[in-house]
Amino acid sequence: MNGQGGVGTRALVSWGRTVQNVARHAGRMTHLLIGIVNAFARGRVSFRSVIDQIWWMGVQSIPIVIVTAMLGGIVTSQQGSYQFTGAIPLYILGSVVASSVVLELGPVMTAIVMVGRVGARITAEFGTMKVSEQIDALQSLGRDPVVVLAAPRVAAGILVVPVLVAIANVVGIFTGMVAANLTIGLGSGSFFYGAQLYWHKWDLVYSLTKALAFGFWIPFIAVHMGFETKGGAEGVGKATTSAVVFMTLAVLFLDASMPPIFLN
Amino acid sequence: MVEYRNIHKAFDLPVLTGVDLRVETGETMAVVGPSGTGKSVLLKTTIGLIVPDRGDVRIDGQSAYFSGPGTMEALRRRAGYVFQGAALFDSMNVFENVSQGIPEERLRAMPRGELLGRVARSLEVVNLDPAQVLGKLPSELSGGMRKRVGLARAIVGEPEILLYDEPVTGLDPVNAASIHLLIERLADELDVTSILVTHDVHGALVIADHVAMLTNGTIRFVGRPEEFKNTEDPMVQAYLSQDPRRSLALMEAL
Repeated sequence: MNGQGGVGTRALVSWGRTVQNVARHAGRMTHLLIGIVNAFARGRVSFRSVIDQIWWMGVQSIPIVIVTAMLGGIVTSQQGSYQFTGAIPLYILGSVVASSVVLELGPVMTAIVMVGRVGARITAEFGTMKVSEQIDALQSLGRDPVVVLAAPRVAAGILVVPVLVAIANVVGIFTGMVAANLTIGLGSGSFFYGAQLYWHKWDLVYSLTKALAFGFWIPFIAVHMGFETKGGAEGVGKATTSAVVFMTLAVLFLDASMPPIFLN
Repeated sequence: MVEYRNIHKAFDLPVLTGVDLRVETGETMAVVGPSGTGKSVLLKTTIGLIVPDRGDVRIDGQSAYFSGPGTMEALRRRAGYVFQGAALFDSMNVFENVSQGIPEERLRAMPRGELLGRVARSLEVVNLDPAQVLGKLPSELSGGMRKRVGLARAIVGEPEILLYDEPVTGLDPVNAASIHLLIERLADELDVTSILVTHDVHGALVIADHVAMLTNGTIRFVGRPEEFKNTEDPMVQAYLSQDPRRSLALMEAL
């Protein structure tokens, strides 16, 4: 009985700690969000900092986003070719590639790239600043870390991710078409005929809305986890790992929760 | 005048359990004590880098925590903080780091030439040659130089209060002595109120007007350096003793 009681108590304590942790993160994130909104509402965010972040997050991410989108488009096209050959008209492949890229692959693969390239770096950078007291130093100098560090990154994320997703969509569809032409000889005319057949303008709106959500959540979570870092180098490592897991799950949860809302 | 009133702070365990301490305008107060007693936590409560669970800090009679929005920001502008590891911004060179010590709105309005002059003067005050260090990144500086740049950043905004968190930790005795003398000189030349948290009690006794000992979350002793040296308090004696065996014996007897 004692053993069972012990296990039960430990489980309860562990559950209580998890609830406490979730509540703490939720509280801090709400506080961070209010701080960011306030910073913009009062016009305290430096335009130059936002431009710097757009350059780093957006322009410098274009090559990796293009490569990822190319591979996504090629794989979708090849898989579709393999399954459709001899079964259904091949021009349908155009529709499959366009819809897959615009609705799923473009936004989600770009978001995963941004988690690794941008989110992890933000958390590691801010975590290091936190443990080496650089965040405290900013505050001691009368600078608000939310205004100076967090707000420009979140703003840049919101602005650049939709543009990157738009680029990924175009590149993914185009490389899918080229792959279809090279593997099963499907001409570009037939490919685009299929693509237009089941095309809805709303799909693009949906794709960019998703991108907007990812563009906010990725830097926002990264900033939060960076500010919450404790301990030395090990703490920075833990915070970065947790941030990557948290951001990836957030992207996948958002991806799963949006179709029932927007695609009905 | 800086006044700590009944400061309490706990993290997982209580760290500060009712600290009362008064630092008069223009004086240098050294806070000494064993590791982990909350000296740095106390210093950080001065300008809200750590918010106390209970109690208040008053600066020239004005409450830091109960005076409404904007108070803390205004108080931070009156203080310069020197961090244990200097806490220089990695991505900025020395010039940019020191410039950050000037309040934002003044920095924006300041002509480049004037800014350069002020940064250079601050570096000269801390015995650094601006021509040699201005363009360097923190990673290109020695530990002692980083501390001096941190000090230059703290004084460039012409503060009334200087807060030093372990300014000589990790330095060799000669560098430590030169930083101590620099702190003494700054207190005289700039006429600032200085609060210094340190493990180096012997250095503190040379430069401080008063020394406070923090143990078990409260102030155990406050007095002038000569009173500190002559007290019979075994904890203070253990801390002052140059003989490690005697220090340990005194601590064990407590």
